[in-house]
Amino acid sequence: MFKPFTDQPIVRIGEDGKKIGRWSLDLEAAQLLRLWRDMVRARIFDEKLVTLLRQGKTSFYAQSSGMEATQVGIAHGIRAGYDWVWPYYRDQGLALAAGFPLKDLVAQSLGTNDDLCKGRQMPHHFGSAEHRFVSISSSIANQVAPATGTAMAQKYLGSDEITVCTFGDGATSEGDWHAGLNMAGVAKAPVLFVCENNQWAISAGIATQTASQGIAIKAKAYGMPGYFVDGQDVLAVREVIREVAERVRSGEGPALVECLTYRIGTHSSADDDSRYRSREEVELWRGRDPIRRFERFLEAEGLLPDAETLSGIRAEINAEIDGVLAEAENNGYPTWDSMFDDVYADLPPHLEEQREFLRREQEAL
Amino acid sequence: MTAVAGAPQTPQQEAKTVQLNLIQAVNLALREEMRSDERVLIFGEDVGARGGVFLATDGLQAEFGAQRVFDTPLSEASIVGAAVGMAVRGLRPVAEIQFADYMYPGIDQIFSQAAKIRYRSGGQFTAPLVIRTPSGGGVRGGHHHSQSPEAYYTHTPGLKVVMPSTPFDAKGLLKASIRLDDPVIFFEPKRLYRAFKEEVPEDDYTVPLGKAALRREGHDLSIIGYGGVMPDAIKAAAALEKEGISVEVIDLRSLIPWDKEAVLESAAKTGRVLLVSEAPRTANFMGEVAYVVQEELFDQLQAPVMQVAGFDTPYPYALDKTYLPGVNRMLRAAARLLEY
Repeated sequence: MFKPFTDQPIVRIGEDGKKIGRWSLDLEAAQLLRLWRDMVRARIFDEKLVTLLRQGKTSFYAQSSGMEATQVGIAHGIRAGYDWVWPYYRDQGLALAAGFPLKDLVAQSLGTNDDLCKGRQMPHHFGSAEHRFVSISSSIANQVAPATGTAMAQKYLGSDEITVCTFGDGATSEGDWHAGLNMAGVAKAPVLFVCENNQWAISAGIATQTASQGIAIKAKAYGMPGYFVDGQDVLAVREVIREVAERVRSGEGPALVECLTYRIGTHSSADDDSRYRSREEVELWRGRDPIRRFERFLEAEGLLPDAETLSGIRAEINAEIDGVLAEAENNGYPTWDSMFDDVYADLPPHLEEQREFLRREQEAL
Repeated sequence: MTAVAGAPQTPQQEAKTVQLNLIQAVNLALREEMRSDERVLIFGEDVGARGGVFLATDGLQAEFGAQRVFDTPLSEASIVGAAVGMAVRGLRPVAEIQFADYMYPGIDQIFSQAAKIRYRSGGQFTAPLVIRTPSGGGVRGGHHHSQSPEAYYTHTPGLKVVMPSTPFDAKGLLKASIRLDDPVIFFEPKRLYRAFKEEVPEDDYTVPLGKAALRREGHDLSIIGYGGVMPDAIKAAAALEKEGISVEVIDLRSLIPWDKEAVLESAAKTGRVLLVSEAPRTANFMGEVAYVVQEELFDQLQAPVMQVAGFDTPYPYALDKTYLPGVNRMLRAAARLLEY
C-alpha cells in the first residue's frame, strides 16, 4: 500500500537504474519490454510529428517528450479500453500505450477524411468512443467536472469501470478543477485524477500556479487521498496508478495522483521556450530521461535485450509510423457539406438553409 | 389567460386533465419522465429534500430516491460539467440551476463541452442533457434574480433554447427536451410560475421544439414574443381588439430552433410586426427575428418591424415594473406601427 501525502515522491528506481527500497518485481520480461517499447513509441511519434509540422503538413502539435514514463505508466495502470479517459491535449503517449489506434491519432492531426472527429478541431485534439477516450477540449480543466459526471454515471449504472481524468499543473489553478474535485469527493465518484505535473504551463512555472507544496496535497481539501509520484519512473507510476485505480474501482471514492515530470520540448509548436526557461534547466531534465532510466534498470536486472534487438524494435516503430503517415496523407479531406453535420442530432431548419446557401456557393465556384 | 389555454396547435386533449400552474406542470413533466426512463437523473442546488427553491422538484426525491434526485455542491461549473459527463456515459441528466443569473460559473461547461462535444468528436460523443433554470423579472428579485440571458445561448451553435409561457407548454416542451439527443437550455419565466393555472393532460404528450403557438388570430398586426411577456402581449391584443384592430399573437416557445415559417406567414398576412421580449434590447434574440422578417418580406411590410424589449441596463430592483415591457408600452408601439 502506497502512502498518500508524502513529501518525497514515490519512486521505484533511481537515476542509476538501481532499485530504491525493498520491493519485488511483479512484471515479466515481456511486460517490461512492453513498457520500454511504449515509451520509445511515444518518443518517436513526437519526433515524427514535429517533422510533419516543419513540413507544413499539420499546423499544431504539443510535444510530450520527457513525459513518457508518466503517460505510459498511467496507461498500464488502468484497464485500457475499458475505463473511460477524459484526457488533456498532451496525452498522446497515454493514448498510444492505451491502445488508441495510431492511424486515428494521425488522421486527427491531419484533419483528413479518416479523422474520427471529422476535421472539426485543431490538430492533436483526438478522441475515440470505441477506445473510451473522450474527445479533447482545449479549454483548460474543462474535462474535470465532466469526468466526475462520467464516474457518477458509472456508479449509478453499477459498472465497475472507472474514469481517469488527466491534466497538467496549470489546470489546477482553474475554478473548474476545484469544482470537479470537490463534487467527486462529495459524490464518492469512481474517478482517478492524475496531474501530469510537467512544471510549466506554457511559460508560467509551477510557482505561478500554486503556493502549496505541490498538487497532491490539495486532495486533502476534497476528502480524497493524494499521491506524489516520481513521474520519470515508469514502474512507480504504473504501480501507484494500478493500486489506486483498483481502490477507486472498489468503491472507496476518488483519488488524486500527481506525477512530477518535465516537458523537454516547447509547450506547443507555436511556443519559444527559450524566452522563459534556462537551457541549464532543460538540459538537467534531459539528463533525467525516463527512457534511459528504465533502460539502466533493465540492464541492472539483466533484462535489457541486446542492442540489435532494441534497434530492431525502433526500426519497426519507425516503419509503422512512417507507413501510417504516408497512407494518411492520401486520404483526402472532409467535404464542404460535412460542416453542418453533428451540430445537433438532426439538422434544424436554419442550418438546412445555411447548408443550401453554401451548396449554391460551392456550385458557383 | 385561461382564454388562451391549450394552444390551437396542440393535440386534442382526450385524456384526463388537471388544473396546474406552470411550476406544477414542470414538476409533473419531470415525474413522468423519471417514471418512464431510468436514465433520467435530477440534481442541482436544493433540489432534493427541499424540492427546489420554487418547488419544481417537490416530492421527486421521496418518490425516486437520492440516487436519482440529489443535491450537489453549490457549484454551477460542477453541476453542468457533471451533467455533460453523465450524458456522455449514457444517462439523461436534468440539472437545475437555481437562477439563470447564476449560470455564469458553469457557462464554460455549457459553451465548451455541452454545446460542442457532439461536433468536435464528429458525433462520437453526445451530451443529451437539460438545464432547467428560472429566468426573467417581475418578482421583485432584484438584479441577480431577474435577468433574461437567453440570447447568449442562442448565439452558441449546438445548444437548443426553450422558454414556455403556459403550463401546457411547460410540460410538453420539457418532456420533449428531456427526450432530445441534444443539450437544451430550458428557461422558465419565474413570474409565470404561479400566475395562472390551465388544464394540463395527465397523460404523456410532448410539444416539439421549433413550433410556435398561435395564441390569437388576427390580420392587422402581429405580436410575436416568448416567455414572461406573453400574458401582457395577449392583454395588449385584447385591448386593441376593443378598438377594432385585429391582432395576431404568436408565442415562439423555443428560440433555437425557432419557427421562422409561422412568423413569416403571420408577418406576410398582417404586414406589421411587433416583437416583444423582456431581455435587454441590444443583441436581443428578437433582433434576429426582425432581421429575417425584413430580409424575407421587405416589400410586403406596411411598417418597419418594431421591438419592445427590456433596457440595456442591469436589472433594476426598485424599478422592476418600469423595466419590464408591460401592456402600455406594447400598445404605444402598436399605435406607432399602425400609424406608419
